[in-house]
Amino acid sequence: MSESSIKDFEAAIAELESIVKKLEEGDLSLEQSLALYERGVTLSKFCHARLEDAERRIELLSERGEIRPAPAGLAGNDADR
Amino acid sequence: MSDLFDLPFEEDPHEGANEPEPPVPTRRIYTVTELTVRVRDHLEERFFEVWVEGELSGVRLWNTGHLYFTLKDSSSLLKGLMFRSALRYLKFKPADGLHVIARGKISVYEPKGEYQIVCEHLEPQGLGALQLAFDQLRKRLQAEGLFDVAKKRPLPALPRKIGIVTSLDGAAIRDILKVLRRRYQNVHVVIRPTRVQGDGAAAEIAHALRQIVKVPQVDVVIVGRGGGSLEDLWAFNEEPVARAISISPIPVISAVGHESDVTIADLIADVRAPTPSAAAELVVARKEEFSSRIDRLHERLVSCAHARVQRLSRRVHELSGRRALAGYTTRLAMTERRADELTRALADALRSAFSTRARRLQAIERRLDAFDLGRRLARNRTSLVGVDSRLRATVISRTHRARARLSSLAGRLDTLSPLAVLARGYAVCWNEDRTRAIRDAADVATGDTVHVTLSRGAIAAKVSGIE
Repeated sequence: MSESSIKDFEAAIAELESIVKKLEEGDLSLEQSLALYERGVTLSKFCHARLEDAERRIELLSERGEIRPAPAGLAGNDADR
Repeated sequence: MSDLFDLPFEEDPHEGANEPEPPVPTRRIYTVTELTVRVRDHLEERFFEVWVEGELSGVRLWNTGHLYFTLKDSSSLLKGLMFRSALRYLKFKPADGLHVIARGKISVYEPKGEYQIVCEHLEPQGLGALQLAFDQLRKRLQAEGLFDVAKKRPLPALPRKIGIVTSLDGAAIRDILKVLRRRYQNVHVVIRPTRVQGDGAAAEIAHALRQIVKVPQVDVVIVGRGGGSLEDLWAFNEEPVARAISISPIPVISAVGHESDVTIADLIADVRAPTPSAAAELVVARKEEFSSRIDRLHERLVSCAHARVQRLSRRVHELSGRRALAGYTTRLAMTERRADELTRALADALRSAFSTRARRLQAIERRLDAFDLGRRLARNRTSLVGVDSRLRATVISRTHRARARLSSLAGRLDTLSPLAVLARGYAVCWNEDRTRAIRDAADVATGDTVHVTLSRGAIAAKVSGIE
């Protein structure tokens, strides 16, 4: 049930969708539905994390294949002018 | 350019044959070569720069890189040649049947005594050269199937990194970053700066593309530039760029110029964005779409759990109701009532815990809706997650607690059952028709028949006296 058992974003959404469907259909034991709920919450958190937790980064790739941070003027952390 | 014409003169084989003729001082007799050179010089001087129009035929590219052709109209032919050095600057590919205007000088190819035009520049008549080049390349790539809709790949749901190939000096990069910054703070962008116009720009763009698609985690590439003249945008109509896009292992979004500018790159890319800003919006839109999908799924998940707990608490009620059937002694009845009250309190607590949290969740979401989605998610992510995990903890712990309490109550109910008392050696004495338990000796008379229920079995007895 850990996040490392989640393969990728799209797979996570698909699994979350099927869990919600199963839960909505009912006919599950309490234990089963609790386990599914727990898994669903993990997946939902994972998806949110993938959406939100990425860091804002602007990098430049040089002709020689080196990656370095973009100059501040370009990265423009200030508000839009 | 005249390497073909400055061939060393060969000895003219006819020169010797002329020798026996007595020299006539008034006649100037040329050798063929001498005459040819004179003619050449005269033509080159007289037709140093001419423009001539005609139809191309017999177009042939030699492996030296020079181009040979014939220009013709309805009644005449003109041999022509274009050196590799001049050919390089042609945007279109000369082909048989094309109507062209050629600029160059007239010269003579001595070994064959042929005059020809040494062409400096060719342009197609009617269509502009660029338009023609565009049409030619488009036709060719189309024949290869590179524009097939089936080849277009969908954009990734959530690109880990977004690659951008464009100039750092142009408007495009600023437009793209502005949109990304406004819509989502947390993007990871890798920019591969490149020239986007001028000589050699196409090769540079192609190289940049081949490079950036290899950067780990770059899942989509935006390639493009801001608006400009047809010439400015030309690099995106050249084959190297088209090829680099077509072999990219990841989806490519083209964003060249304005809405009305359609380039070869646009035709071959997986997705064509009308402008660089629109390309950025495309990437971001996917993100928003997924964000709201996850939100909806999450809501459904929570409401499922909510419904489940409600069903559970209804069952607790039912079970405690059934236990009440056994309550025919006062203590039993009281215990049953207490159990009932406890259960109800538990159920209420469960319900209110849920509705409070559900209301809080809804309130938070309503407030969040008022904000820009990006800011909403960023700012309230933590609180959402907190609410969510508390919610989950509540479901689990309340449910566990309810079940534990219930089974302990059931245990207590069991110890109070009369059957348990009988097991300890007590007996229940009933009246004759077993409608009442006899609690008072005054309720029976000597000679009455009574029934005695024991732990195992029952006996009928007669009252032999009252004590």
